[in-house]
Amino acid sequence: MNKSVKEKLESTFKDIQVSILEDSRIAVTAENHSVLTILRFLKDDGFNHLALLSAVDWIEDNVFELCFILTSYQRDDDEYSDSQRLHIILKTTIPREKPDFQTITAIFPIAEPYEREIHELFGIKFEGHPRLTPLLLEREYEIPPFRKDFDTRKYVKDVFDKIPFVEDKDE
Amino acid sequence: MDRNQIAKWFKEPAKMANKYSLHAIYFCTGCGIIEVPPVITSRWDAERFGVIPVATPRQANLFLITGYVSVKTLRAIIRTYEQMLEPKYTVGFGSCPINGGMYWDSYNTIKHLDKYIPIDGWIAGCMPRPEAIFIAVIHLWTLIDKDMATGYIKYRENYKSYRRNQEMALGELEWPPLFPVSDEPRGNEQ
Repeated sequence: MNKSVKEKLESTFKDIQVSILEDSRIAVTAENHSVLTILRFLKDDGFNHLALLSAVDWIEDNVFELCFILTSYQRDDDEYSDSQRLHIILKTTIPREKPDFQTITAIFPIAEPYEREIHELFGIKFEGHPRLTPLLLEREYEIPPFRKDFDTRKYVKDVFDKIPFVEDKDE
Repeated sequence: MDRNQIAKWFKEPAKMANKYSLHAIYFCTGCGIIEVPPVITSRWDAERFGVIPVATPRQANLFLITGYVSVKTLRAIIRTYEQMLEPKYTVGFGSCPINGGMYWDSYNTIKHLDKYIPIDGWIAGCMPRPEAIFIAVIHLWTLIDKDMATGYIKYRENYKSYRRNQEMALGELEWPPLFPVSDEPRGNEQ
């Protein structure tokens, strides 16, 4: 089954690399401008569940990598079973200097909280997102805290360690 | 109950009643709360020690902080603690509230919880066994007996410092101060 998906992808799109990791896992690397088209194609093909959207900071290569993990909950052509369920990992890179990407909420509405989280923790802007407001964090950070150049130890020393202990007045 | 206890009951009935009916607020913080359901149910049965979980802070006088405290949780903890009735006792459960534990260099975790609210006792470990809660409760009885569990009095007297620390960690607080923070002489307290 994964062979046919691979052939279908390679025949439809030009500039992608498709590799089969395991029996039920396929990794696709694509250019960032063709990601939305591939996602829409895969969704029409039955991969209608976005399981995860995450980001990786490759600071040596000066890129952010976005990973979209899609699964097929129910495909029309075969019966639902765990052994037959396919996972597709779609990877793309965006430059670190200009971390902008298109939102995919039009295709997968469930991506909205994931994109908010990535915007908050990595500082990647998703154009067209309905509300990129803070989701998890309370404090303001100069560098988004999940980037590799964010020095957590220095931040802790500057912020939390500077808060003094409360001394008892009697002592 | 021995004779010594009876004498204590007649001498200080309110304190003894407080001591043997600790109402713990059922507040979930971090991973340590997984130890609390077995503690309050039939296997360890905290009611043997007079500890019973209650739903709201206004009915509680024992506050178990059961794990790491993120900045967002600290806000909820302070609001909960300030709503509890006096006398109130706080116990930090696990190593994370003590000094951050494995989150010692985290960007979003409070390292020393006793900078923000007073803590009467600590239970070290990651995770402590449920028995550790009972050891803590028995220690707390001893502290109450000796009038040493005075965290709430410390909070009242040093409220200015606590409030300053809370504002340093959380920024502007959206609730008014619990006690007066101006330099005027305090009124008739306690």
